[in-house]
Amino acid sequence: MGLLLFDVVLCALLLTLAGAAMLSRQLVHAVTLFIAFGVMMALAWARLQAPDLALAEAAIGAGLTGALCFTALARYAGDAGYPKPKLWLPLVFVAAVSALLLYSVFQIPAQPTTELSERVAEHLAVSGVSHPVTAVLLNFRAWDTLLELLVLLLALLGARQVPSQLPLHAGWSLSVSWSRLLSPMLLLLSAYLLWRGAAAPGGAFQAGALLASGLVILRLNQQLAWLSWQNFAVRTLVLAGLIAFVMAGLASLLLPGQLVWLSWPVALAGGIILLVETFATLAIALTLALLVVGEPEQEPADA
Amino acid sequence: MLSFYLYLATAALLLGVGSLGLWRGPELLRRILALNVIGAGIFMLMVSLAYRPVLYGEPADSVLHALVLTGLVVAVSATAFALALLGRLLARPQ
Amino acid sequence: MWPAVLLVTLPLAAALLMLLWPRRARVLHFAVAVGLLPLAVSFLLQVTVSGEQQWFLGNWGPLLAIRWQADGLTTLLLLVSVTLHLLVSAYVGSIQRRNPLPAAFWPLSNLLLASLQALWLSRDLFNLYVCLELLGMVAVALVTLSGDKALRPALDYLLYSLFASLCYLLGVALIYAGYGVLDIPMLAGQLEANWLNAVALTLMTLGLMLKAACWPLHLWLPAAHASAPAPVSALLSALVVKGPLFILYLLWTTLAPAAFLPAAAYLLASAALGAMLFGGIAAIRTPYSKSLVAYSTVAQLGYATLALAFILRFNLPEFVAAMWLFVLSHALAKAACFLAIGELQHTLGARQVEQLKGASQTMPLAMFAFAVAGGSLIGLPPSGGFLAKWALLLGLWQSQQFFWLLALVVATLLSAAYVFRVVVLAFDRAAPTAPDFSPQRLPQYLALLPALLVWVMAVFSLPLLTLLKQEL
Repeated sequence: MGLLLFDVVLCALLLTLAGAAMLSRQLVHAVTLFIAFGVMMALAWARLQAPDLALAEAAIGAGLTGALCFTALARYAGDAGYPKPKLWLPLVFVAAVSALLLYSVFQIPAQPTTELSERVAEHLAVSGVSHPVTAVLLNFRAWDTLLELLVLLLALLGARQVPSQLPLHAGWSLSVSWSRLLSPMLLLLSAYLLWRGAAAPGGAFQAGALLASGLVILRLNQQLAWLSWQNFAVRTLVLAGLIAFVMAGLASLLLPGQLVWLSWPVALAGGIILLVETFATLAIALTLALLVVGEPEQEPADA
Repeated sequence: MLSFYLYLATAALLLGVGSLGLWRGPELLRRILALNVIGAGIFMLMVSLAYRPVLYGEPADSVLHALVLTGLVVAVSATAFALALLGRLLARPQ
Repeated sequence: MWPAVLLVTLPLAAALLMLLWPRRARVLHFAVAVGLLPLAVSFLLQVTVSGEQQWFLGNWGPLLAIRWQADGLTTLLLLVSVTLHLLVSAYVGSIQRRNPLPAAFWPLSNLLLASLQALWLSRDLFNLYVCLELLGMVAVALVTLSGDKALRPALDYLLYSLFASLCYLLGVALIYAGYGVLDIPMLAGQLEANWLNAVALTLMTLGLMLKAACWPLHLWLPAAHASAPAPVSALLSALVVKGPLFILYLLWTTLAPAAFLPAAAYLLASAALGAMLFGGIAAIRTPYSKSLVAYSTVAQLGYATLALAFILRFNLPEFVAAMWLFVLSHALAKAACFLAIGELQHTLGARQVEQLKGASQTMPLAMFAFAVAGGSLIGLPPSGGFLAKWALLLGLWQSQQFFWLLALVVATLLSAAYVFRVVVLAFDRAAPTAPDFSPQRLPQYLALLPALLVWVMAVFSLPLLTLLKQEL
């Protein structure tokens, strides 16, 4: 009963926050409400026994997306004069669609089909890791994960096409010293998350997102001047996850008897996965950090 | 069982709320947020589905969790790209 | 396995290396692009000789793994993508001195090729979602290469594309809710005709139609394709919109329960009719030459959608052949059109159709390329476009759809009108628009090449038809 009450409150809160973010008059409120919505989502994932997602959502939904949105928000200053949007027509249409969707989700059978989960459990022993989510991500459906890293890289490449700089303010001494104190802890924590991912919730993405937030904090306080795409080492690390992944995949094709793309031999699977994950963590962290803070200030690049 | 349906309903309603924001706007930033709310609704649906086996005393569906994790990364990448485009659009001298 | 893996990973690895060493990008690009061509040809031959091949990635067996499948159609699409990739990049290389694209073009176009190849091969609902998202983001990144004027169309394109992928993902989630399977061949014939599946398939179809710019969901396309640099527009129109169309075809021919097919056929056929008529009319009316070609893409996609609708309705092999012949011939013809128009536009400094006056005199080669490609768009014999239209007419005649025969004739007249609108102006030699500089020959020949390839397609019509008719 207590749990149900918690669920009701959480769901009501989620809907209220989302609705308020969509309908609020001012964008600042919308963004703030959206960040709160992200935090609540993380809570919901934890409640629904998805700790991996809760970790990822907390780092992303609440942290990085918020930072990104506030950067965009800073440019809306002086940008006003949108006509007052219509409410009723969209509302009626969307209410009809929601009712349809609501009816549809109640048609979902409560009895799950467990064949796929059973298959995962069966093969977990030969996957190289003991945490099923990591096994799916880095072994059973590794191709999805490789493409996902590519999507992340593309976001960075695309964003680099359209640079727009916001001046970084000189570090406030208190925040500078705080950032110096926080970042080693974040580094340690993300290494722990990565290591733990083999056996328990955690893994490359969560660790990478956490590390990225550490990098962003430091960068915003005028540290880490080397953090730039122009820096060859940074570029190498951004690409390292994909390069390691592709090379591991191609190497697996060369092994005798293994003629399938991305099939790790059982004996080496654990090692390969850890290797790929480590590079992926670094790549994810640097990519996300570069996405949030952009390039350091320089003279205007030639158009 | 009741909470399973509660989360499913929340997922469907989040989709509705997100679509409303997407249609209504009016700012582009709010449309981007709305897309994220729609995404959150879909992920909520998927995670609730992953929770189904738990009702029968089995562990949650790890494949769905992995898919949602992939989806989250894709969503944040797309959002970051969209916000970068938006930033440039707004910063551009008129 | 090797050819399939290399067709995907070579462009991917090349893109990564280009990002590391941008200065070597062009050399690497052409080395890879040229190398991929014989690979794709040999793969096509291998599959035609020894039949369909499939792999479960990671060797995990069905259900658990992502499935790749290479049948005749897939290998043909792989080959066409590789060919157009090479042609378009050769064009970009040839205009490098005059108006260079940003260096980011090279890695991005390789990533575009890699994500397309991944899409053609994949037979997994979720993996296809990731491929779609990837394709959409590369496409938007490529549109932004033309600078600030493309920002708004690019952002609109991205938002539409994101919404479309979310619709598709929701559909996938609902199907997974019912069956717990993501593998398309395993789901074939399993889906029951219930409410949940109807909603799921509707959502996926809407998302894919939005991505494939099927009328009336095409609103993002003209602005995005017209504002991109010409070679990018060529890639987008020729290849990118075909990806979602391919998934649509997979879904409806293998997944959908038979009870849904009539309704879907009706929906698709009405969308196709709208596309052919309104797309054609918009192409006739627009003042800008690149918009004309972009609207023509909307109209031409209508033919492929119409063929898909009739595949669902009558299940005749003629319609399958027609659909994919439309896709292939449109890919080649549209690449030629965009490259030719890009060349004309740049040399004559002409954005408007009116300014192409006398182009047959000032730039005969580019104009010839446009006219030849336009001939295939209209469906003049013996071009690839004619083959496709002939197959469609044959199928319509067999199934006695006389209303649609009439619609097809009207649509053909419309495409003839917008092609001749340009050609007639080009032959108006009274007061030709003077070129800003003396026209370059090589890029014009490169624009002509795909146009000639469409006509060569007719020579290979028999093997092509046998390859495509096996599909059912």
